[in-house]
Amino acid sequence: MYRILIVPAGLAALLALACYAIFVIAPQEVTMGDTQRIVYLHVAVAWCGLAGCIVMGATAAAYLARRAPAWDHWSQAAGELGWLCTTLTLATGSLWAHEAWNTWWTWEPRLTASLILWIIFAGYFLVRSSIDDPERRARLSAVLAILAVADVPLIIMATRWFRGIHPITPQMDPRMRLVLLISVACFTAFFATLIAVRRRQLDLIAHTTNLENASLT
Amino acid sequence: MNSITNFARTCSWLVHKDLLRELRAPRVWPTMLLLGMILSLAVEMQIELPRDQKQKVLGGLMWLVIFFAWTVVLNRLFAGERDESCWQALLLYPVTLGMIYLAKLVVNFLALAAIEALLVPALMILADVPLLARAGPFLAILVAANLGLAAVGTLVSSLTSGLTRQASLLVVLVLPLASPVVIGAGQATVALLGGDPTSSFRWLQLLSVFAAVFVGLGLLLFEFIIEE
Repeated sequence: MYRILIVPAGLAALLALACYAIFVIAPQEVTMGDTQRIVYLHVAVAWCGLAGCIVMGATAAAYLARRAPAWDHWSQAAGELGWLCTTLTLATGSLWAHEAWNTWWTWEPRLTASLILWIIFAGYFLVRSSIDDPERRARLSAVLAILAVADVPLIIMATRWFRGIHPITPQMDPRMRLVLLISVACFTAFFATLIAVRRRQLDLIAHTTNLENASLT
Repeated sequence: MNSITNFARTCSWLVHKDLLRELRAPRVWPTMLLLGMILSLAVEMQIELPRDQKQKVLGGLMWLVIFFAWTVVLNRLFAGERDESCWQALLLYPVTLGMIYLAKLVVNFLALAAIEALLVPALMILADVPLLARAGPFLAILVAANLGLAAVGTLVSSLTSGLTRQASLLVVLVLPLASPVVIGAGQATVALLGGDPTSSFRWLQLLSVFAAVFVGLGLLLFEFIIEE
C-alpha cells in the first residue's frame, strides 16, 4: 500500500519544491515582472526534452547492440517524455516570446531547431504505430531515434553558430541562478522518475502480450 | 588498394543496374522532372517582386522545389527490389550492405543532379536570377547539399520501404531530418546571390559537416534496417 504512494508522493514533493523556489525564493525581475518566472520552467523542460532525446538515442543504440526488448522500452519511454517536454518548451517559449519580444513565434535558429526536434519525435511515434511486429518496430525506430539525436547539437549550438535572439551566456542574479538550478534538478528528477515508471509499464504490457500469445498457441 | 578498386567497381555496377532499369522502363525520373518544372513555374508565378528582392527568396524556394520533386524518386528507391522480389537475390551476391547503401546514395545524388540540371537554367530564364554568376561556389553548394540529402534520404527511404503508410511517412520523416541541409543550402544560395561569399562559405562548411555526419550514420545504421 505504502509502496504505491511513494512514487506519486515523491513526484508531488519535487513539483512543490520547484514551485516554492520559482514563486517564493526567486526575486521579481525588474523589467518583465512576474512573467519572467516562466524562464525557470522553460529552461528546465527544454533541458529535459534534450536529455530525453539523448536517452532515447543512447538506449536505442543499446537495443541495436544487445537486442533486449527492455532497451526498446527505455527508448520509447524516453521518447514519449522527451516529446512532452519539447511540447512544453515550445509552449512556454511562445508565452515568453509574446511578453518579451511581442510575438508568439519567430523563425529564430534555436526555435526552429526545437520545432524540428518536435516533428522528428512525432515521426518516431508514427513509425512505431505503423509496424505490428515488435522486433521490427524496435529495430527501425531505434535507427530513427539515433538519427534524431543529430538535431540535439544544432539546438545547443544554434545561438553560437547562427545569429539568434536567445542569450548565449545570460547574466543573472545569484538567487535567480540558484532557483534555476533547483528547478532544473527537480524537473529532471521528476521526468526521470516518469520515464522509469513508463518503462516499467511497457515491460508489463509486453509481458502480458507474450502470455496472451502463449495461451492462444 | 585492390579492395578499394573492387568496392568502387561493385558500387558502380549496382548504380548501373538502377540507372539501366530506369532507362529501359522510365518510371519515376520523368515524373520527378515534370513535377520539378510545375513546382518552379508555380513558385515563379507567385513571386511578383523586383529582381534584387527576388534573389533573396528564390534561393530558399529553389531548394524546396528540388526537395519536393526529389521525394518522387525517394518513394520508389527501394520499391523495385521489393516489388519484383529482387532484394533476396541482391543480398545473395557477394556485396556488402555498405556497398548497396553507397550505390543507392549515388543514384539519389544523380537524381538530385538531374533535377538541378533542369531547374537551375529554368529558374535563371524564368525568374531572371543569375544563379551561375559565381559558378564555382554555387556548384560546391549543390554537391554538398546533394550529398547530405542523398545520405539521409537513402536511409529513410530504406527505413520506410514496405511499411503500410510508406509514402506519407517518408515525407514526414525526411523533411525534418533533412531540414538542416535544406535550410543550409537555401541560406548559402541566398548569401551567394546577395553578394556575401563569407556567409555563404560558412553555410557551405556546415553543409559539408551535415553531409559527412549523415553519410557516416547511413553506413553505420543501414545494416540494421536491412535485416529481414
